[in-house]
Amino acid sequence: MVKKSDVYSVELHGTKDIEKTEIEDEEKYKDLKGNKKKKKTEDLKKELELDDHKLSTSELEEKYSTSITNGLFSARAAEILARDGPNSLTPPKATSEIVKFLKQLVGGFSILLWIGATFSWISFGIQLAQGTESAFDNLYLGIVLALVVILTGIFAYYQEAKSTNIMASFSKMIPQQALVIRDAQKKELPAEQLVVGDIVEIKGGDRIPADIRLISAQGCKVDNSSLTGESEPQARSCDFTHDNPLETKNIAFYSTTCVEGTATGIVINTGDRTIIGRIASLALGVGNEKTPIAIEIEHFVYLVAGVAISVGVLFFIISISLRYKILDSIIFLIGIIVANVPEGLLATVTVSLSLTAKRMAKKNCLVKNLEAVETLGSTSIICSDKTGTLTQNRMTVAHLWFDNQIYSADTSEDQTTQPFDQSSPSWTALSKIVTLCNRAEFRPGQENVPIMKRVVVGDASETALLKFAEVILGDVMNIRAQNKKVAEIPFNSTNKFQLSIHETDDPNDKRFLLVMKGAPERILERCSTIMINGKEEPLDSEKAEAFQTAYMELGGMGERVLGFCHLYLPENEFPDTYTFDTDSMNFPTSNLCFVGLLSMIDPPRSTVPDAVSKCRSAGIKVIMVTGDHPITAKAIAKSVGIISATSETVEDIAKRLNIPVEQVNRREATAAVVNGMELKDMSLQQLDEILCNHSEIVFARTSPQQKLIIVEGCQRQGAVVAVTGDGVNDSPALKKADIGIAMGIAGSDAAKNAADMVLLDDNFASIVTGVEEGRLIFDNLKKTIAYTLTKNIAELCPFLIYIIASIPMPIGTITILFIDLGTDIIPSVALAYEKAESDIMNRRPRNKRRDRLVNQQLAVYSYLQIGVMQAVGAFVTYFTVYAEQGFFPSTLLGVRVKWENSNINDFEDSYGQQWTKYQRTFLQWNGYTAFFVSITIQQVADLIIRKTRRNSIFQQGLFRNKVIWVGIFSQIGIALVLTYGLGYVTALNFTPLRFQYWFVAVPFAILIWVYDEVRKLLIRRYPGSWWDKNMYY
Amino acid sequence: MTDHYQSIADCNFSFFFTGLILLFYLVFYGFLAALFTFTMWVMLQTLSSDIPKYRDRISSPGLMISPKPDTALEFYFNKSDAQSYAEYVSTLRKFLESYDDSKQSQNINCTPGRIFDQNDVAVKKACRFNLSELGQCSGKEDKTFGYSKGTPCVLVKMNRIIGLKPEGEPRIQCTSKEEGMVEINYFPPDGLIDLMYFPYYGKSLHAHYLQPLVAVQLAINSNSTKEEIGIECKILGSPNLKNEDDRDKFLGRIAFKVEMTE
Repeated sequence: MVKKSDVYSVELHGTKDIEKTEIEDEEKYKDLKGNKKKKKTEDLKKELELDDHKLSTSELEEKYSTSITNGLFSARAAEILARDGPNSLTPPKATSEIVKFLKQLVGGFSILLWIGATFSWISFGIQLAQGTESAFDNLYLGIVLALVVILTGIFAYYQEAKSTNIMASFSKMIPQQALVIRDAQKKELPAEQLVVGDIVEIKGGDRIPADIRLISAQGCKVDNSSLTGESEPQARSCDFTHDNPLETKNIAFYSTTCVEGTATGIVINTGDRTIIGRIASLALGVGNEKTPIAIEIEHFVYLVAGVAISVGVLFFIISISLRYKILDSIIFLIGIIVANVPEGLLATVTVSLSLTAKRMAKKNCLVKNLEAVETLGSTSIICSDKTGTLTQNRMTVAHLWFDNQIYSADTSEDQTTQPFDQSSPSWTALSKIVTLCNRAEFRPGQENVPIMKRVVVGDASETALLKFAEVILGDVMNIRAQNKKVAEIPFNSTNKFQLSIHETDDPNDKRFLLVMKGAPERILERCSTIMINGKEEPLDSEKAEAFQTAYMELGGMGERVLGFCHLYLPENEFPDTYTFDTDSMNFPTSNLCFVGLLSMIDPPRSTVPDAVSKCRSAGIKVIMVTGDHPITAKAIAKSVGIISATSETVEDIAKRLNIPVEQVNRREATAAVVNGMELKDMSLQQLDEILCNHSEIVFARTSPQQKLIIVEGCQRQGAVVAVTGDGVNDSPALKKADIGIAMGIAGSDAAKNAADMVLLDDNFASIVTGVEEGRLIFDNLKKTIAYTLTKNIAELCPFLIYIIASIPMPIGTITILFIDLGTDIIPSVALAYEKAESDIMNRRPRNKRRDRLVNQQLAVYSYLQIGVMQAVGAFVTYFTVYAEQGFFPSTLLGVRVKWENSNINDFEDSYGQQWTKYQRTFLQWNGYTAFFVSITIQQVADLIIRKTRRNSIFQQGLFRNKVIWVGIFSQIGIALVLTYGLGYVTALNFTPLRFQYWFVAVPFAILIWVYDEVRKLLIRRYPGSWWDKNMYY
Repeated sequence: MTDHYQSIADCNFSFFFTGLILLFYLVFYGFLAALFTFTMWVMLQTLSSDIPKYRDRISSPGLMISPKPDTALEFYFNKSDAQSYAEYVSTLRKFLESYDDSKQSQNINCTPGRIFDQNDVAVKKACRFNLSELGQCSGKEDKTFGYSKGTPCVLVKMNRIIGLKPEGEPRIQCTSKEEGMVEINYFPPDGLIDLMYFPYYGKSLHAHYLQPLVAVQLAINSNSTKEEIGIECKILGSPNLKNEDDRDKFLGRIAFKVEMTE
C-alpha cells in the first residue's frame, strides 16, 4: 500500500518514458537483474499493442465471452477471478521484514563491528587452543560486539517500522466499489473482484476500477494525470480515434478518475495487467532520491570508518613490525575499531530526528519520513499554493464603499468586531441589504461556536456576507425573521443580480423594502439615485465617476466586488396585501437607490506575512504557484509580502514610466507575475532566467503540469525545493520536490502519499516552523556528533600508547562500549533539545555541497583538540591510580609482556612489593574504571561546551535546556552504578574506585570549557579571520 | 601574467596558512605536553618514596616458587641427565646468592617467633636468614638441590608486601593430589615461616631485606616416575593470610607439577 504513491508520482508520456525508466532500471540492476528487467519491458511494449480499442462491440463480446446487456455470469466471473487473481495492484514486493532487519544489521558501522566480533572469536579459538587463561575475555568481547550490533539493529528496525506505520495509515483508503452488471443485474461490488469481461458503469467522481474499453459514454471526461501528468480532463467516447491505446478515446485506464459524465465499458485488463499496473511494477526500481541528511550521515560514516580502518591497519602494521604476535595485533585492531566507531551515534541521530518529528507534529507538521525533518531545514525555495495555504480558504469581506469613501474591514481569522466607522445612516441601509438579500444560513445548533468558524449553508460570497453581518449586527436570523421575506429572485448568470422584497421591522412603516445585490455595473444601471450620508441624491455623472473609481480600485486589489441597492416601495402602490410575482416582476427593478459596494477576497492567513518575512530573512525564496487569476494572485502576494511593497514587476515599471512593456529593462524588476499562458510558450532557458533574475515570483493560472516544470527549474538552480500541494495532480511535483508538503485538510490521499510531510492545519506558517526545526536539528546533530566523536580519541589513545609504550592496558574494549552505549547516549540525545543560537532564521539556507554535517573543522577540532585534551586528562588519572598503588610511571613503560604473563606472580612494583597476576589485573581494571570515569567527567564538560558553536555558554544559558542536565546526571549516575554497583562482575571489568579519582580529571574538564569559551570568543570577535575559518565547525 | 602572479600569491598564502596551522598545533600540543608533565610532577610530589600511598590491592600475599619454569609451572627432568635440570639448578643457585652468608654481613640476628617492629628506627635492619635452615635444599651439601637423586627441591616464598604482619604461626604446607607418589619434606621443619622477618618496610628503607624461604623437598617415589605429580602448596596457620580466593589462584597458594624420569 505504501509504495502506491509511486504509482501516482511517475510522470509518463506514453512509451517513451517507459523506456527511460527501463534505462534507469537497467543501470541500477546492471549486473543482477538487468536482463530480466529488459525482457519485462519488451513484454510490456508488446502487450501494449492491445487491439481492444479497434474491435467492434460485438467482437468484444465474443472475445471476452460476455454480454453487454447482461454482463458475465457470476460463476464464469468467479472462474476468471480464480484464474487472474483479484483486480488490485500487487503491493510492491515489500522487502520482507527479515531482509529489512538484516539490512539494519549490516548497515553503517555494523560491518566494522562484525569484523571486530569475528576477530574476537578467532582469537578466542586460537587462545583456547593454546590454553591461554584470558581466552574467554575475547569470547565475551565478541559476544558483546555482536549484541551491540543486534541491539542497535533492532532499535533502528523498530524506529523504521514505526515511521512506516505512520505512512501506512496515510494510504489506508476506503475499499473502492464498482457498479457491475452481472447475471443481468446491476451490482455494487468491491473493485477488487472485477474480472476481464465485466461490464461496469462509471460516473463523474468515480475512480476507474480497471482498464476499460468504453461501449457507451455521455459527456464523459477523465483525468489522466496520474498516468500522463496531463491534468486537462480528456473527453472519452466509444469511438476508436487513435492506433495507440494510450491515446485513443475509447479506453479509460485504471486509477484515473472520471471527472464528469457517465460511461459503460468492458473490463479488458485487471490488476497488474493494467497499464498502470505494468508501469507501477516498472517504476518500483526507481528509488527515491536520498535525503540530504541521509547523504550527510553516509558521508560521516565513511569518514569515521575511514579513520577507524586506516588507524587500525596502520597500527596493525606498526605492532607487527614491533614484533608483536599476529594474534595480539589482531586484538589491538579490534580495540582500535571499537574505540573509533561511535556505536551509539546512529541510534542517537534517529532518536533526535524522531524527537524533532514529534515536536513538529505538535506544531502541525506531520513528517512521514524522519529524514525529511532536516530536508526542510535546508530548503532554499518554497513553491507554495495560494488557496488554503497562504489564504484562509474562505471569502471574507475586505472593503466597503459607501458615502463616497472606501472602508477597510478586518479580515483576520477570529474577528469579533469590525472597527470601521458605522455611524453613517448609509451603513445602516447597506447593512440591511447585506442582511436581507442573502440566502445563506447558519446550520442550527452552533450558537456557542465563534462566528467565523460556524458552518454555513450557502455559496462562498453569501457566506462571507452572512458572517460579516453577524459579526457587526448580531443575530442575523432574528433580523431576517423580523423583516419577513415576501418575494425573492435568486442570483442567476443572466441577470447577475439577486433580489428580495421584505416587510420592514418598523411597525409604523408599512412600506415594503426591495433589496438587491449583484455585479456592480449591473446594479448601477438600475439606479437613479445614490445614498450619501443617509440621503438619497441624484446619481449624476460625477457620482457615477466616483463609483467607477472605487470599483476599479477594489477590483484592482483582486477582490470580488458586489453592488448593493434598495428601494422602499411606495405604500399606496404596494399595500401590505399586495402579492409579488417574481415571474412577471410586478414591481420596479429600476430607478433604485444605490447604497454601496462590498468587496470580498479570500484573505491571507494572518500568520502568513510574518512567516513570509521570516523566510525572506532566512534566505528562502517563496514562489507562489496558483491556478488563480494573476490580479488576485498578485494582490495576495503583495499582502503577504511575497511581492514586497517596494518592488515592481515589469508591467508596473512600464505603467509608471508610461512606456511599452518591451522597453523596460527586465533586470530592474525584482518581481514577476508569470501567467500560465506565457509559461507554456517559454523555453527552459527563459524560465531559468526568470527564476534567476527575479527574487519575487508569482506564477498564476498555472496547471499542475507546469508546477512540475517550475519545480524542476528551481532544482536546476541548485536549490532544495519544498512544494506544497493538495490535488492528485500535484503529486508529481510533490514527489519531484526535495520535500513535498501535502495539505492535511484539503489534500487528497494521492498528494499525501506522494508527500514527505503533511501540514495538518494547511497553514504556510507551519512550514516556517518546520524550516526552523529542520535547521535546528541540523545544528544540533552537528553538536551531537561533535560530542560523540570527541571521546573517540580518548578511547583510541590508550591503545596506541599501549602498543607503542607497552604500558598495562589503560582501558578495556568492553569499558569503551559502556561509554559509547551507556554514559554517552542520553547526553547526546539531550543536545537535540538545545535551543537555537540566536541567528538560526537569519542566515542563508545551507549549501548542499559546501555545508556538510561533519566538516573538516568539526572533525579536527573534536579529534585533534578536545579529544586529545580528554586523553591527557584520562592518562593523568590512569598514572595517578597506578602510582598511588606503587607503580611509578617510569616502571610502567615497556612492562606489557611481563605484566600480562600469568605465570609471573611475583611482579615487583616501584617499592619492592610483589604482585600476583590477579592482583595486577585487578589494578588494571581499577585503571580502566579510572580512565572511564575521567572520560565521563570530561564528557560532561564536552557536553556543556557543545551546547553552542559560536555563542558563549553564558549567552545561551546554562540552565535553559533542562534535558542537558538530565543528561549530565544520567551520565554520572550510570558511571556510579557501573563503578560501585557492578564493580564485582568480572566480565564487565569495573572495580570500585577511590572517591578522589573522580576529581583528577576535573581540572582538565575545566580547561576544556575555558579553552572552548576562548575559541568562541575569538570567533565572535574576529569573524572571517584565520581562527574563525579553522575553529568554527 | 597577472593570473600567474595571483596563483603564486595564493600559493604563498596557503603555505602561510599551513604554516600557521602547524605552528598552532605545535603550541597547542606543546602546552598539553607541558601541562601533562606538570600535573604528573605534582602528583609524584605527593607520593612518598618509602611506602606507596595505598596498599589495598595487595592486602594478602601471593605465593611463588623458585625455580620457575619458563612456560608454565611444570617441572620436567631426567634425574640421570644433568642437562635436563641444569637450568633449575642454576636458577636456584642464582636466587640463593643473595642469601649467602657473605652478603648478609650487615644483617642482624633477630628474635625468632616475634614480629620485628622497627617503626621508630630511621635505618631499618634486615634479619638474617641462614641458608643452613634450608637443610638439604640449601645447595651446600647437594649442588644439584636433590635433582640428581630424585628428591628435587623447590623454594616457596611469600610475596613481599610492605607493612604485612602475619598473625599466628604461618607455615607452608604442600599436598600432592596423587597419594603415595611423593613424600614431602620441609626446610625449615614443618615449613614454618618465622614472624621475625615481618614487617617489610619497602625497597628504599629496607634495602637488605631478605624474604623468608621455605624449601620443599619432593622425594619422588621410584615407581612414580614418568608420571605427572600435581603439588599444591598453601600458607596455613595465619588467619590474616588468605589462601582460598576463587579468582586469584596464587593468593596464599601455588600449584605446580613435577614429572621425573630416570
